[in-house]
Order: sequence, then C-alpha cells, then structure tokens
Amino acid sequence: MLLKDYKPAQLFDELVDQSGTVRPYYKAIADRLSGLSRDELTQKIRSLELLFLKQGITFTVYGDEKGTERVFPFDPFPRVIPANEWETIEAGLVQRITALNLFLYDVYHEQRILKDGVIPNEVVFGAAHFRPEFVGVSVPKDAYIHVCGTDLIRDTDGRYLVLEDNGRCPSGVSYVLENRTAMKRVFPHLFGGGVRSVDTYPADLLATLRHVAPHENPNPNVVLLTPGVHNSAYFEHSFLARQMSIEIVEGRDLIALDGFVYMRTTRGLRQVDVIYRRIDDDFLDPQVFRKDSCLGVPGLVDAVRRGNVALANAIGTGVADDKVTYAYVPEMIRYYLCQEPILDQVPTYLAWRPTDMKYILGNLPKLVVKAANESGGYGMLIGPSATKEQIEEFRQKIIATPRNYIAQPVVNFSQHPTLIDGGLEGRHVDLRPFVLWGDTVKVLPGGLTRVALKRGSIVVNSSQGGGSKDTWVLNT
Amino acid sequence: MMLSRVADHQYWMSRQIERAENLARLVRISEEMLLDDETLGRGSAQEYWTPVLQATAIEESFRTLYPSPKQGDAARFLTMDLRNPDSIVSSIRQARENARSVRDKISDEMWTEINDLNLFVTSPEGIDLLEISPQAFYEKIIASSMLFDGITGATLTRDEGWNFLQLGRLLERADMTSRFLDIRSQSIAGDDAEESLQWGAVLRACGAHAGYRRVHGGEISVERVVDLLLFSNEFPRSVRHCLRRANEVLHDISGTPIGGYSNQCEKLVGALLARLSFSGPSEVMAKGLHNYIDELQQQLNAAGQAVFESFVLLPSEVSRHFPRHSRQDNLSDWQREQQQQQQQ
Repeated sequence: MLLKDYKPAQLFDELVDQSGTVRPYYKAIADRLSGLSRDELTQKIRSLELLFLKQGITFTVYGDEKGTERVFPFDPFPRVIPANEWETIEAGLVQRITALNLFLYDVYHEQRILKDGVIPNEVVFGAAHFRPEFVGVSVPKDAYIHVCGTDLIRDTDGRYLVLEDNGRCPSGVSYVLENRTAMKRVFPHLFGGGVRSVDTYPADLLATLRHVAPHENPNPNVVLLTPGVHNSAYFEHSFLARQMSIEIVEGRDLIALDGFVYMRTTRGLRQVDVIYRRIDDDFLDPQVFRKDSCLGVPGLVDAVRRGNVALANAIGTGVADDKVTYAYVPEMIRYYLCQEPILDQVPTYLAWRPTDMKYILGNLPKLVVKAANESGGYGMLIGPSATKEQIEEFRQKIIATPRNYIAQPVVNFSQHPTLIDGGLEGRHVDLRPFVLWGDTVKVLPGGLTRVALKRGSIVVNSSQGGGSKDTWVLNT
Repeated sequence: MMLSRVADHQYWMSRQIERAENLARLVRISEEMLLDDETLGRGSAQEYWTPVLQATAIEESFRTLYPSPKQGDAARFLTMDLRNPDSIVSSIRQARENARSVRDKISDEMWTEINDLNLFVTSPEGIDLLEISPQAFYEKIIASSMLFDGITGATLTRDEGWNFLQLGRLLERADMTSRFLDIRSQSIAGDDAEESLQWGAVLRACGAHAGYRRVHGGEISVERVVDLLLFSNEFPRSVRHCLRRANEVLHDISGTPIGGYSNQCEKLVGALLARLSFSGPSEVMAKGLHNYIDELQQQLNAAGQAVFESFVLLPSEVSRHFPRHSRQDNLSDWQREQQQQQQQ
C-alpha cells in the first residue's frame, strides 16, 4: 500500500522505471514490503533505532560541546543490486584498486608514469598527501591501499560513476554489517533467500592484514590503531577489532624502540607486526609528521622504513585519492593495465589548468566545487544551491590556490524510495563498496548505501543529515 | 597479559560504578534522615550536609559553585551536577566512557547495562523520577550497579581483565565504607538516642543493618559499628574484607603466592590488610575515629596510585614526573580535536 503513492522523479529511480513499473529485481522485496502497514513499519523503525542506541552503534557529532552521540539514521527499504550489475561494478573496482596500487608503487619508486608524461609532475608533487620522504621505501608485498572505499553514484541513465576513491582510512563498513544484522532481526520475512552475505568481511580483512606481516611472520600480532573514543568512527574501530579478535590500541599504548614497535601490557612489552591504522598520516609519528600529534607513536615511521612493522593502509596513499589525481585514474588504467576503464567517472575540471580555471570561474553556479584534500562532505560548494556570498568566497579561494580545487558538473544522483514520516519518498543515494587488496582482491558484496534524508539534498554524509540502507546484492 | 590501558579502563570502570552506587546509598540515607525532626532540630539543612560534603572531599568546590546554597543544592551537587567530577551522574558517565573504550573486552550484556544506566540518568524520565521520587531514583542506581556486578560475574571470563574489574570495585568499596564512617565521626555531638539513630543510618547506607544485628544484636554503639565496618572478615562491605579480596586478586594477577609481594601495590595492600587483621576497635578509639580513618584513606589512595604505577606505567616511567592520574581522561580541546579529525 505504501508503494501506491510513490512518485518517481525526473531522474534515475532505483525502484521503478520511467513508466512507473517496478524493476523486475525489486519485485519480490516490493511485494513483501507492501504487506506491512505504515504503523507497523514506523514502529519497527523506532525499535531498531532504540536498539542501535542501546548497543552504542552511534557516531559523535562534532562541534557539539556535550559530545552527543547519535544513531546513524537507518532506512528499512533495502537497495537491491542484481547480479549482472554487480559483476560489472566488482570488475570495475578490482581494476581500479589494481591501477591505484600500481600507481602508488610507481610514484614512490621509478615514477615512470611521470617520466612518460602521462600525468604531469605537479599533479603528484603538488598533492598535499604525497610523501616525498617515502620515495624509494618499499612496503610489504608492494601493497599500498589494502582497504579502499570507493564512492559510486548513478547518473540519470542509471550508469554507475566513480565519484571518489577513499584510499586512506575509509570508514562505514561496520554499518554495512550492523545494518544487515538489524534487518535480519527486525524484517526477517523480507529476505526471500538469494541475498549475498556480508559476514565474511572481518575474516577477509584480517587475512588482508596478516598477508602483509613483515618477515613473512606466520603468526603476526595485528592491532587496530584508533585516534580514540572521541572519534566519530570509534564505534567502527571497536566493532572491527572485536570481530577480528585483535587488540584496539591508541597511540599511547604503543612504543617504538630500536626500530620495532611494541604495545604496553600489564606484563611488559609485546611486539606488534601489523597496524591497521585508522588515523591519518599526519598524526602517525610526531618525529616525522605533525610535531603536535598526540595520537601517534614517536619512532613508528622509522620502524616502518626498516620493514619491522607494516601499516595498512601504507603511508602516502593520499596522493592516489586526491581529487586532482582522480581526474587521471582512467589514464592510469590505460597506462598500467592496457585496459579501458570499466567504470566511468564524473568529468572533472582542474582549477590549475588555465582553460579549466576559466570555465570554472565562469560557471560556478552550475558546478560542484571540491577542495582537493577534504573529505566527509566538508570544503564543498554546491553551485545551484549556494548563496552569492558562498560563490564569491569560493571564487577567491580557487584563485588563491588553484591546485586545491576541482569542479564537476552537478550529477543528478539516482534516488531510492525512503521512509519519510510514514510514507515513501524518493531520496538521493550513493554507494560505497569496500575493496580488500590482499592475497586476492575481494569486494564486499554491496557496500554502504548512504541516503540524503533531506529532500533534494545530495549530501549523504552522516555528519550532515545522511542515513543509510542495507544493500542487497542478489545471487541471480 | 593485556594492554595496560585496557587494564586501567577496566579498573576505573568498575570503580566508578561502585562509586556511583555508594554515593546513591549515601544521598538516599542522608535525605531520608533529613526528614526526621531530630536531625533538623539542631542547625540548618546546609549544616547537615557539611560532613557529607567533607567526607566525599567535595566541600570546597561546592562552596565555590554554590556560595549561598539553597535547599536541595547539596543533594543536587552530589547527584546530578556534571561540574562535580565525582557526582553520581559524572561517575556513571565516566564509567560508561571507560566501558566504551573496552567495549571489545566486556560482554554485550555488561555494555548494555552500563549504557542503559547512563542513558537513563540523563533522560527526561530519569530527571522526572529524581524530582518525584528521589528514593526510587537512588534505588535504581544501586540496583543497576549490583546488576552490573552480577552480569559481570555471570558473563565474563575469569582472566586478568576480570581481576582488574574486581580490584577497582573492591578498593572503591573499601574507600567508601571508610568515608561513611567518617561522616558521623565528625558530626556526632548529641545524646545517646541520636547517636544510635545516626550510626543506624550509616549501617543502612552500607546495607549492613541486618548484618550488624546478627552479630551484635539490636543495640547500636560506635565500637561495634566500627568493628563491623572496618574489621569484619565476613561482612562484604567491610574494609578488611574488601582488602582481603583485593589482596587475593592482586596475587592472582602477579602469580606471587600470598604472604609475599612482587610489586608496590601488593606490598601496600598486604601491609594494610595485616594492620587491619591484627588490630580492632580499641586501637581506633584510642587514636580517634577521624584520625584513624584519615590515615587509612591515605593508605588506600597510595594503593590506588600503586595500581597505576605497577601495571600501567613502564618501570622506566615510574620515576619520571607524571601528572596525578585522574579518574577521567581530561583531554584538552586540541587533543579532542585531533581525535575527531581522522575521518574519510
């Protein structure tokens, strides 16, 4: 009954086609959902959110004095991806992470891609997260990005486009797992079989981490390094550590001595082999990067250089997920793999190229402008909905530091029916699949579908009014 | 073997829950006593609270924040005020923060209980309950703390983490029991009837009324209360009993046989236990109750500090200057900001 009133918009709708007919792979779930009354649905959602709150499945809202923790809003209508669509996405993601890792190896060693003129030097050397100190330093198995969270959106034709690669410390995977658990618990009858499981992620992640243990240690001590309980993703850190049965440590738990890293225990020191770090490069080691870091471990980078401890992700991956570098990923794929990119991406104008700069400044109200090194939806201008003052502010910023800005046309993200005030309304969604680069490359079936709960909004970040959905990849 | 920081969090988590419970016991009894004419007969309600504030070592900050206290301010300061780092709600909040830091080391049931309690005390329902029926509010906290203890006992593996949880609870309980005694040691100057009424209140605050009657009968005297709350080997909230258990736990952690010691903490707790085992109320009365308890508390504090030095710091760090370990992570704003920045 809920579906009757659902109105698709002028853009790609995940549930229905242009004529308003439910897409075949949504039929089963749509039928089952129709059996629920509004009240039933609303009440189930309340109980779910209470469950999340009680279990502490929350994130911290920054800028809030009291350190309020909020539940990440959850929408019960799952996003469905049919098997054939997923096959393409998966192949595209594997291709992409392969190219990115080859690129990282290259820029930290021979720099062939620069010498061959495929990517201009200034793209790499001007990236804020490029680490010249690490040129010539090798990392175990030549793996740089072990965990990648690639954001995908769909344009008006339903084409999947890569919006950005998150190759430093991508977060959100715990919500994928918790959302699935919650769905099974509250809406068991919605699953008709045939939905691919996400349960093996923690085991796969652990295998990925063990794979890069220094000196081929068969029984490495793997730890997760968190910034601490005040980080908005702390729940995820704690969740993953628990699922993998590894220690969750803070910088103050670790100590570097003579090129090795140890953790402080009640019985003295114990050596650490692999660190799944969830803090940025800048904060890893006050002796090498930011001097004022209280999150890191003095001497850690030295231990990494000597090859006695492995970091996942490696230091310096930020040069690959830089928003300027992004524009060159298709070139990388062609250069390293001699393949055409399987997944398309959003056309990108680079402010430091004079012609692009001219275009950007002339079309600001039509464009989305992003700072090259920001994440989490911060440092962004959405032209069509910005005020004159905001546009002027960005104009000045772009002129001042062109290397820091890129612009893209506004893509009309696809929308998905979402439960709003007891009824279904279309809301924009994106998709963040998680890719693990270990002995083999594994893509978690589905990923995190984030939904912009505000009408018309395309900002899906949890910190800015986003919610999430369970994502179902079908077996057939 | 466990991370030192985790041991520290576990220790403080259970200490803070035990503290919240004991404060709830204290405020509940004090408010109840306040309703009796006999108590109010002499002096104002503010004066009545003075020894309570002194015994919990928060008098000074109370006077600063409430220069001219009104009725109910003292109880509010002890219960709800987040500016008081040792208020009931502050203690619960810190316990919950510590639990969050060791979420992967405790059972889901333990987490849910402490998280629920924290949500409750700051919820509109919690605040309403405190307004309408303070007794019920305090009883809920006491019950929740005991439930947490029970859940811990029923769901947690008996490993080192368990020992640190026990250690925190036992040292805090010993400390709070001695504080309960101290409240009356400072305020009593009345006739026998009033004295026995007040000591009766101390016994009830410790849940020791029935225990007392079984051993000493109906008549209440200072010596006997002291005997039960400081020296009893059997009563679970007596200082001696708590220290005996803490001593066992410490030896369980280190693997050293009881009777010797392998770290500073074992040494201090063992010595204090021996002192309590080989003395009695007459020594206390000779020294004066307040003086005796003052000394006892200093030794308990030293034992608490020794837990930190023995298990959390590396041997090389002990001699260095370290800021006094506080019960909460007093992160400065910039430290907090750094923790928050890491997000993709």
